[in-house]
Amino acid sequence: MTDASSAPGVSPLLSLHKISKSYGHVRALIGVDFAIGHHEVIGLLGDNGAGKSTLIRIMSGVERPDTGSFRSNGQEIRIGSRRDSVAHGVETIYQDIALAGAMSITRNIFAGRELTSIFGFLRLKAMRRVAMDVLGHTVEISGINSPDLMIESLSGGQQQAVAIARAVYFKNRMLLLDEPTSALSVRETENVLHYISKLRDEGVSCVFVTHNVYQAYQVCDRFVVMSHGRAVLEVQKGDTTIGELTRFVISH
Amino acid sequence: MWTALVRHPASHIVLVSVVIQLVCVVAWAFFPNQFRYLDWLNLESMMRAIPLLGVVAIGVGILMISGEFDLSVGATYILTSYLMALAFQDGWPLSLAVLLAFVVGIAIGLGNGLITIVFGIPSFITTLGSMMFLRGVVRFVSSSESIIFQPGATMERILAGTLGPIQAEFLWFIGFSLFGYLLLVRHSFGNHVYMVGGNRNAAVAVGINANRVKIICFALSGICAAFAGVMSAVRITAIAPSGGIGLELQAIAACVVGGLSLNGGRGTAIGIALGTVLLFTIQDVLLLIGAPGYYLDMFIGGSVIVAVILNQWVGRRV
Repeated sequence: MTDASSAPGVSPLLSLHKISKSYGHVRALIGVDFAIGHHEVIGLLGDNGAGKSTLIRIMSGVERPDTGSFRSNGQEIRIGSRRDSVAHGVETIYQDIALAGAMSITRNIFAGRELTSIFGFLRLKAMRRVAMDVLGHTVEISGINSPDLMIESLSGGQQQAVAIARAVYFKNRMLLLDEPTSALSVRETENVLHYISKLRDEGVSCVFVTHNVYQAYQVCDRFVVMSHGRAVLEVQKGDTTIGELTRFVISH
Repeated sequence: MWTALVRHPASHIVLVSVVIQLVCVVAWAFFPNQFRYLDWLNLESMMRAIPLLGVVAIGVGILMISGEFDLSVGATYILTSYLMALAFQDGWPLSLAVLLAFVVGIAIGLGNGLITIVFGIPSFITTLGSMMFLRGVVRFVSSSESIIFQPGATMERILAGTLGPIQAEFLWFIGFSLFGYLLLVRHSFGNHVYMVGGNRNAAVAVGINANRVKIICFALSGICAAFAGVMSAVRITAIAPSGGIGLELQAIAACVVGGLSLNGGRGTAIGIALGTVLLFTIQDVLLLIGAPGYYLDMFIGGSVIVAVILNQWVGRRV
């Protein structure tokens, strides 16, 4: 399998080797190789049940593979938990939005990684200041004027933007987006795609999971198509067309 | 400023409380001899009545925000105080007897939590079972007899005395409410509680140990019930094994009236405290106007349902 991102001298940010995972009799992944390079957006395509989400869950440490290994910048690493993946700069954005509705934007951004002073008390002012900064500069989210707003008062696209802002603030180098646009309107989807290309410019690599080839083609540099637990195609954007990708996803 | 106030999650219960208190005070001002709301005697009896439920409700409420229920607090409340009195009667030092009450309270909470988490069953069922089990334990250790508990002047001053005009129990209730506020709003643990109750998967995804958070909340619920048990034992000086029946449901009622969601992830410490005060204010008003006792249950039942309807309506609007 060719892998342009791991050109000589540049090891990929994260690479997976011969990853397999079964659930009972179901073989969700069969010997999958996958690499995330520097400054790239990868479109992970495939029909439902192809193994895309399982691969994402393994990269984010929520599930462990039965066999296979991980490397980060050439070094062998272990990803057995969420804590491990966080340590290697991986953040995941899920299809159902990973925020709590009855909490403010600030509290959601810092959930699990609060700024605290002695005895674990929150530094609320500092957290609020950073949240304003994140919302103002990292991703400009239309219509949000205060970090004190409750998540449930935001639209789906705005919520997804907050989740992305959270990932960016914590200086994650890799963002795994598991069908981030599936619950969004057309315009909100455009916004999220815009954030993804902006993230690449800021040095964050993204894996964009979708079965919408058109959306993927707008922002991705490279495509990996999965089918029945295997990676069946890997291709650079310049070497393919929307039509070819669509045919490939459908025919497998 | 105004939008910030309206947006605050406790704004509805605060508004309702202020309105009801104002109505009571105005009624008292017009009919001071018929409606003795601000009479010192009445205020004193309110301050004595509220804290028991209030302290229990703080523990139950924090647990509810984390997404779980505790139906065993009434049984925990009576078992811990009964064991304390029994140990004291057997010649244990007072401090050890009180410690025993807290250890048992924590142990019951941890047990509820571990069973719920390890076996993955609804806490409603776990704690329904432990409520019945603990009631049986109370009958076993008590032989259905009441026990006298007279711990001496120091403890009476701390838990049942007065500071100036204010009852010590009421101060403890304020203290527990303040603790709840500090924990939920000002501490990182509170952030985890809301996250776990509001969206468990999200909490796990950001690296929060959801099971640990819930088990700690169960333990807190047990501690609060034990404290309420110790406090009321000192006040009443006699502990009947049938005490605390229905306390668990009253605590949930106070929480719901105070704006907590039955689904978790939503609610405030001030809401729990004001919800408790509101239930007792209704009770007090009914007593003052000489309404028959059964009106009380009807009113409390009605206000719980109205509170849930209002909460859902508000939840849909935002």
